[in-house]
Amino acid sequence: MSTVSTRAPARAPRTTQSRPEAGRRRRRREQQWPAYVFLSPWMIGAVVLTLAPMAVSLYLSFTDYNLFDPPHWIGLRNYTEMLTDDPRYWRSVGTTMLYVVIAVPLKLGVALGAAMLLKNLGRGRAFYRSAFYAPSLLGASMSIALVWKALFNDGGSVSGLLGAVGIHAGGWVGNPHLAVYVVVLLTVWQFGAPMVIFLAGLQQISPDLYEAASLDGAGRWRQFVSVTVPMLSPVVFFNLVLETIQSFQVFTPAFVITGGKGGPADSTNFYTLYLYERGFTASHMGYASAMAWLLLIAIALVTLILFRTSRSWVFYAGEDGR
Amino acid sequence: MPEPRSGGHRPPSRRAVLASAAVGLGAALTTTLTSCSTASGEAGGGGVSLTFSWWGNDDRAARTEKAVRLFEKEHPGITVRTSNADFGSYLQKLATQAAGGGIPDVVQLDYRQISQYAGSGAIMELTRPVADRTIRTSEIDEDFLRTGTYGGKLYAVPMGRGITGYAYDTRIYEKAGIPAPKPSWTWQEWAEDNRRIAALGLRSPDGRHVTGANDGAGNEDVFEDWLRSHGKQLYASQTRLGFTEDDLTDFWTFFDRLRRQGAVAAARDTSQAISTETSPIGRGLSAADYTWDAPFPAYTTLLGDSVRFAPVPTIDGKAGQYFKPSMLVGVGAHTAHPKEAAQLVDFLINDRRAGDILGFTRSTPPNRAIATRVAKTLKGAEREIYDYAVMMEKYGLSAPPTAPPRGDVAIDTAFGREYERVGYQLATPREAARELINAANRELRS
Repeated sequence: MSTVSTRAPARAPRTTQSRPEAGRRRRRREQQWPAYVFLSPWMIGAVVLTLAPMAVSLYLSFTDYNLFDPPHWIGLRNYTEMLTDDPRYWRSVGTTMLYVVIAVPLKLGVALGAAMLLKNLGRGRAFYRSAFYAPSLLGASMSIALVWKALFNDGGSVSGLLGAVGIHAGGWVGNPHLAVYVVVLLTVWQFGAPMVIFLAGLQQISPDLYEAASLDGAGRWRQFVSVTVPMLSPVVFFNLVLETIQSFQVFTPAFVITGGKGGPADSTNFYTLYLYERGFTASHMGYASAMAWLLLIAIALVTLILFRTSRSWVFYAGEDGR
Repeated sequence: MPEPRSGGHRPPSRRAVLASAAVGLGAALTTTLTSCSTASGEAGGGGVSLTFSWWGNDDRAARTEKAVRLFEKEHPGITVRTSNADFGSYLQKLATQAAGGGIPDVVQLDYRQISQYAGSGAIMELTRPVADRTIRTSEIDEDFLRTGTYGGKLYAVPMGRGITGYAYDTRIYEKAGIPAPKPSWTWQEWAEDNRRIAALGLRSPDGRHVTGANDGAGNEDVFEDWLRSHGKQLYASQTRLGFTEDDLTDFWTFFDRLRRQGAVAAARDTSQAISTETSPIGRGLSAADYTWDAPFPAYTTLLGDSVRFAPVPTIDGKAGQYFKPSMLVGVGAHTAHPKEAAQLVDFLINDRRAGDILGFTRSTPPNRAIATRVAKTLKGAEREIYDYAVMMEKYGLSAPPTAPPRGDVAIDTAFGREYERVGYQLATPREAARELINAANRELRS
């Protein structure tokens, strides 16, 4: 039925086209309700479990809600206290920024490197792809964080290995200068997810381009810079945005490795960890809600900035390649 | 639909499938409904159903269940539904239940929760059940009972009586020529002893320097003992601290110096100590560890009988320790059966047979008669902590403070965190003390 109109000659007069157009629109409207019926479990879920709680948390962020007493409206006090009178808030912001700035480029770099190696691999590719991807599936779990903690604790394998080569740094988990890198390493270890996306992107690049480049006398490095990087830039951008957003919300590994305290000496007290402590340990739910909203705004801003800068470095083949 | 031809194999018709499905569903529904009605029938058969929740290990869970079953037997018509969890998740679950108005009828509470739960009306005031002797308090020490009050009124009854001390390794103390500590030993003597142990040059299993004790400066309990031995207290009221920046700076400087001298455990060992096994003494890194009496038996299990329990040092003989409720029990404010709930509370605290079943699973029972009775059956480490408590009681301790203010949960965590910054030399004792006092005042204001 619908094929009738698509098969209609493009040069057909408008009058003959308008009737089936209108009919189709009406039909579409009539046919939409089953779609909503089938969507309803998710729509209800989105409203009841996501949108409504978000609205409530926005309201609570202007109150002194503490779980026990009814909330009182206190205006912007949570926000002003956070920004002007809470040194730990700013320390947690700093810790989170440090983590994002180190972990995201490192993880993407390792992912891209691994993808480049796998691309040229012949038979073992499927195996290695799965093997490298596995940590991404496991990494968010409690058990891996516990293993990680054991590895980097005092007397763990890492301090043992380093000790064997003459570096006696002790456990990283108990060292405020190194603890954050335990979490960074755990994140980087999960490079499999961006790697798979990079690999897919690399396979999309036409071999013709490489062939043409090598005919022009370009070496491997030159090919990487002039062909791979620009052709892959949309994929890089996608991974960058995704990983940045995720990294701002790092919680589970830091929570498990530091026993929920963000220690030692607040060195792994990431934003979300501090938020959790304010809300669930100190029961300042209003304050925690305000923190959550500032985090949302901050992530939105960073994403916006990334999109703005992307105009100058992301190359879409469709735009001027035609 | 026409009748199907008879004979031969044929696939079941659509209707047959539908019908059997309907029958199956119907059966399932009926079963569910029946089971529902049985459940409600039990509760509704003229009886009363109570809920009771607590935290604790498996041993405590088994003993508590047994005591509750005995209560049900003694009170036909009352059924008790119990639930328990580990401490951390229990606190969060209870806070959420309280926020939703669904707090259990009978509820085990931590000392630090009393002000919050009483102040916000989540638990019931117990004046009436105490007055009509539904809850008997005559065999509980008066000062000790007062720990369950808020605003001058009783809201919770202590379930166990705990006290602090140092678990110490007698072999190392003997090697250093230090006599068994007496209740009157001072912090200065303690510091000197720790230096002497450090000077022995002992090595831990992983080849590190053995110190005299753990670094307790990040523990609010140690500071409270220290303050009280100076005649001060943590909280002057529900909204005001009882100490100054100078008090805290002195305390932190005292420990900071000892840590730098290697007389108490290093910062990284303190921050990794979360259990008996990971404590400095548990790892063979120190000769002593500050702890409560209830967990003390775990040290002897781990390290052997050479570990004994010593008093916390004093200032010129004035002890700062006190008998603290290891946990308390209260009644949910919205309970439909306040009388029965109070009966269960009384049973858990005052019934002789319940006392025999529960034993020392919540530290020394608050009921004196029960404590003396149960103590006769104790052996080994449990016997030692009982004798220790008797000795400290004889030595003379000042009365416990009333329940700490509701901000104390947050202040307690801030305390450890701020000292950690001193331990890692990221802040001076005074800087950290100033920040702690600011944070504490913010908590007490809100």
